[in-house]
Amino acid sequence: MLNQLLKKLIKNSAGHAKFALAVIGLSVATLLILSAVQLQSNYHELLNGKKNQDSIANFLVVNKSLTDQNVGASSLSASQLNDLQKQPFTESIGTLTASRYKASIQSNSSLFPFYTDIAFESVPAEFIDVSTKDWHWDEHSSFLPIIVPNQFLDFYNFQYSFSQNLPQLTPQVVKMVSFKVTLQGSGQTFSLNGRVVGFSNRISSMLVPQNFMDWANTRFSTTNSFQQPSRVIIKTKDPGNPALTNYLKKEGLITDLDKTRFSRYRQVVDFVVNIASITGILMFTFALLIFSLFIQLTISSCKEEIELLILIGNSPKSIGRFLMNRFFPPNVFIVLMGLLVITIAQYFLADYLIEKQIILNSLVSSITILAAILLLIVLAIVNYYTIQKYLRLQQRTK
Amino acid sequence: MKLHLEQLVPYSLKDKITSGNSDIWNQAITFNDSELIKIEAPSGTGKTTLTHILYKVRTDYSGSIKYDNIDLSKCDVDTLADLRQNHVSIVFQDHRLFPDLSAGENIEIKRLLTPQFSTKEIIVEMADQLGVSSILDRKVRFCSLGEQQRIAIIRALMQPFNWLILDEPFSHLDQKNIIRAVSLIGTECKKRNAGLIIMGLNKDHYFNYNRELIL
Repeated sequence: MLNQLLKKLIKNSAGHAKFALAVIGLSVATLLILSAVQLQSNYHELLNGKKNQDSIANFLVVNKSLTDQNVGASSLSASQLNDLQKQPFTESIGTLTASRYKASIQSNSSLFPFYTDIAFESVPAEFIDVSTKDWHWDEHSSFLPIIVPNQFLDFYNFQYSFSQNLPQLTPQVVKMVSFKVTLQGSGQTFSLNGRVVGFSNRISSMLVPQNFMDWANTRFSTTNSFQQPSRVIIKTKDPGNPALTNYLKKEGLITDLDKTRFSRYRQVVDFVVNIASITGILMFTFALLIFSLFIQLTISSCKEEIELLILIGNSPKSIGRFLMNRFFPPNVFIVLMGLLVITIAQYFLADYLIEKQIILNSLVSSITILAAILLLIVLAIVNYYTIQKYLRLQQRTK
Repeated sequence: MKLHLEQLVPYSLKDKITSGNSDIWNQAITFNDSELIKIEAPSGTGKTTLTHILYKVRTDYSGSIKYDNIDLSKCDVDTLADLRQNHVSIVFQDHRLFPDLSAGENIEIKRLLTPQFSTKEIIVEMADQLGVSSILDRKVRFCSLGEQQRIAIIRALMQPFNWLILDEPFSHLDQKNIIRAVSLIGTECKKRNAGLIIMGLNKDHYFNYNRELIL
């Protein structure tokens, strides 16, 4: 009842057009800021989401780029490794251990004769993209599991087999072939059976289990001292991270360029998304200003009514509360509508992108909802302070 | 609720007030519970100024005013609102009504501050008594000064109070209406056991005054 009378008194003396303008400004700004947040969150989801993750891209084999100056001294120092480990983009780091003995493989079968000298490398098992129960070796094992780069098989099937008039081999066939591995060093020779157990897209070396490598290096190495690794593998959330590319460049390190070339595009997209956020924040600031000016205008145009209301015994607090109840609900409505529009847009965006094999959450992200709540808090605070300030000002000018 | 004035001097009358020529200005004076007080004030002696100071519409004075322990110049906005809602009521000389609300709404907006104290029916009753029941739906802007004065009186009676301050409350009323208003005000003050301060230009006998003072 009292509120109805108050509403009658503190009517839209500032004008419906001005109110509409303030509401439109605030709506546009809210929409812009929420879509910038949603955009950012979509973008992060695309980069880091499990569904879209490209498993190869997250592991980078890094080594020094060889120049005339560092030929023969390509190993990475402990401090370099330490530094690399500490970089924010590095999740974990594993060293590639190279074999320090001579090795060869030779066919067991006369039907398919081959012999070649080779070298192995090993990495901790967590960095390998092949999961097989055969990836295991101890001194009693009957065979040595080996992981071969996919490129090797391709090279064999599509180039080597033609030139040597040899049959093409499927991965399944290769995995069935058992061959003899011979290790030589420190005046000893040791043979055992080997078998390919998988193909890796991640590391372009012939891989053997780490414990085999350690065992063989101790036993056959001609240089017995511990050697610093020349190559390391790093696990990173985001190989397109421009910080990573810049760091590698600065340290004179190189990696598979294919995997990092996205960093350039990333910088551009980052820039665009940031511009959207900044525009949103600027717009919102202006909209806040407009809205608080509108409140100010309403209060000063009802100056006499407010004065008289206080004179007949209303407390400024209750009038403040009344004004808050009048100005804040439209704000809540605006933010909720903004959120609704974003939700609908997100649904259709996800629907559209799924045709293009891009999987996006069709629901609005929780960050966006959080941003909406934050906007409401900011609006409430600005409303409250504007009302309090101008009510107080009214009384002081008395 | 006692009302105590202590060496009250409004800045605007500083030069006019010399010691001893006023019963109120620059005096220490206490009004006791339910006293009926007439303040006779020739033009230019600060009648309206005193009304406004007593209701804290103005604060440009030296000295102090206390309602019991509440020092008017020092009390905060909430205490002031409580004082105006429950302890001190007023009829301004210029009525101070909302011109764009109807007469009834003007009374109602006051009644709703202390809704448990009086009812809508009482408004109609009082309006009947003062002969303004037919204009309750009319915007105050279109009411005559006499009608406005009676609306302002009814509005002042919507709340509980210990003191009722009236600033020339009958200036626009004829004799017949004055008698009705006096009777209503007298009854309402008795009901509340409240005191009355009435400002006027001349001597009168509307109420059985306990004290008659010259401003």
